[in-house]
Amino acid sequence: MAARPNTINSSGGVSLTGVRFRYPRGFELNIPAMEIAGGEQVLLAGPSGSGKSTLLHLIAGLEEPTQGEIHIAGTNIFQLRAGARDIFRGRHIGMIFQTFNLLQGFSALENVMLALMLAGYASHDQRARALAALDRLGINEPDARVEALSVGQQQRVAVARAVAGEPCVVLADEPTASLDPANATTSIALIQEAARNSGAALIVTSHDPSLRSAFTRVIEVAA
Amino acid sequence: MNDMIIVIRSLSARRLTSAVTIGMVMVAVALLLVLLSLREAAAQAFRRGTGNVHLLVSADASPLVAVLNGLFYANAPANPIAWSKYNEIRESFPWQWAIPTQLGDSFRGSPVMATDAAFLRDFVPVVGSPFAWEVGGAFEREFEVVAGAQAARAHGLHIGQKIVLNHGTSGSREGGHEHADHPYTVVGILKPTGSAHDRALFTNLESSWIIHAEDRRESEAGAGEEDHEHAHEHEHDHEHVAAADLTDADKLITGILLRLPTRPGSDASASIAPQMDRLRRDTSITVAQPAQQIGRLMAIVGDVDWLFLAMAIVVLVSSAISILLAMISAMELRRRQVAVLRVLGASAWRVFALAITESTLIGLVGALLGVALAVVGCELASALLARRIGMVIAGAIDGRSASMVVAGAVILAALAGVLPAVKSYRTPVARHLRPLA
Repeated sequence: MAARPNTINSSGGVSLTGVRFRYPRGFELNIPAMEIAGGEQVLLAGPSGSGKSTLLHLIAGLEEPTQGEIHIAGTNIFQLRAGARDIFRGRHIGMIFQTFNLLQGFSALENVMLALMLAGYASHDQRARALAALDRLGINEPDARVEALSVGQQQRVAVARAVAGEPCVVLADEPTASLDPANATTSIALIQEAARNSGAALIVTSHDPSLRSAFTRVIEVAA
Repeated sequence: MNDMIIVIRSLSARRLTSAVTIGMVMVAVALLLVLLSLREAAAQAFRRGTGNVHLLVSADASPLVAVLNGLFYANAPANPIAWSKYNEIRESFPWQWAIPTQLGDSFRGSPVMATDAAFLRDFVPVVGSPFAWEVGGAFEREFEVVAGAQAARAHGLHIGQKIVLNHGTSGSREGGHEHADHPYTVVGILKPTGSAHDRALFTNLESSWIIHAEDRRESEAGAGEEDHEHAHEHEHDHEHVAAADLTDADKLITGILLRLPTRPGSDASASIAPQMDRLRRDTSITVAQPAQQIGRLMAIVGDVDWLFLAMAIVVLVSSAISILLAMISAMELRRRQVAVLRVLGASAWRVFALAITESTLIGLVGALLGVALAVVGCELASALLARRIGMVIAGAIDGRSASMVVAGAVILAALAGVLPAVKSYRTPVARHLRPLA
């Protein structure tokens, strides 16, 4: 199997120090310190509007903190220039969304291959690696357009896309918010297993208290 | 997977809009190329038709009309020139040749020129390419006719075929009256020259004078009978006239083609202007220098076709605007796509480049299809013009023009993509990752 390009500290997790983020309307998210070890699985809990998603976006480098430092696998991501931070995100962070955010018009395979391309995998590695990831997650129609797949299959494609590049950390933003309790449990187990298999730390946000039992560590977030 | 696949998938996700914008670019490019090509081809076709004539004499109202009627068969000249005037002009200067022509009759809409043997022998319709025979040869006696290539093809003429001419040209007031008493025999068919002469038929002057003399005498006799209360009704039917019976009143022509002596290998003569000035003192005739008149015509037409070119450029610019609008209207979909690409690791510059590539690809595909359409369009336009005006205006897409128009379309399309690209670049990622309301 081809090595992940430009791997930094694959066992490294996520570290936040003195992070503050001020919203335009004046609220402030304050995270004095947070350590998530490599391979650890954490639930960020809290009511809607508490800042869980913002915290995830800060860790992904999509939002810039007002102050503080965020290290991913040992790299202070906000010391990187914007372009370098984008490339870092593609290579070391996988993201899963409530509505999956798959690219319409692309097949399941292409959605995963695209993530691998942006993660820096050579074109000859992309197809095999994407097919393997989809196969592990039970997608047996990789060439089907994503809009033709069921909701459950779409979520599996989204998970495959997040983990196929073997990231250091997988961020899942309210991945079960639109599912019924039975499917939510199955879904979170799928994500946890995929992250575990790829050796990535997993940070999940959810306002659903029933998910707490699935995680050994729960961090309460309050703005 | 590569960036081009992302662009193609993005376009195919908006199939209808993409097809319409590509179609607009295609039509604009094709229009521009066809106009550019036909403009040059038309100028060449007109230059070709004047051949090696230095001066044209007629009784038309203006020199330009004289040239269009006398050499391009636009209409039958309205006023005749007397044979004595021809002799006077012919003897007034040592011309290389002075060819009399008479237009006015037609065969199924194709003009018939009555002239003398020198026309087919000495007149060169396209400089460097004299008339050549597909089959048969020149007329030698009365009621023999030679057909231009297109006329022969259009009417399915063959050697030995008998045809009946009509008095007047198609669309003229006299059109329709047949010279049924004097069928003509086809004795020769010319090879194509690419000039207006291809759609004409040629016969000798005596034939034309005879049938018109008979017509006139019949009509004069008819008037006389009316005066005598129809006393000798039909007595003068079919009064035949022989060449020897022709009087000066019968010998009317409508044009004289003149060529001055030139040095071997040269088409120019220093005497053209002085001879033209001398002839123009005679107010009963119009003297034209065909090459000069065609230059004037092209200058007039040039103003009009610049207008068409300007319109085609406007269409091209509006197609670029439609690319811009199509991309802007798809911005909400694009913003989500951009946000996902950014999450997956695409830099802001990369999504900027993707948007520019998308608009450029629309321009390139549209422009290439436009070139293909222009090739077909030129063929159709040439065929249509050949059928309508009988001139071979064979527009061919010039590689240099095509390259310039394609490059222009692509640059315009790329510029049209700048605004959507800037919007893509500035897309706030986190906001567009949220579930749609």
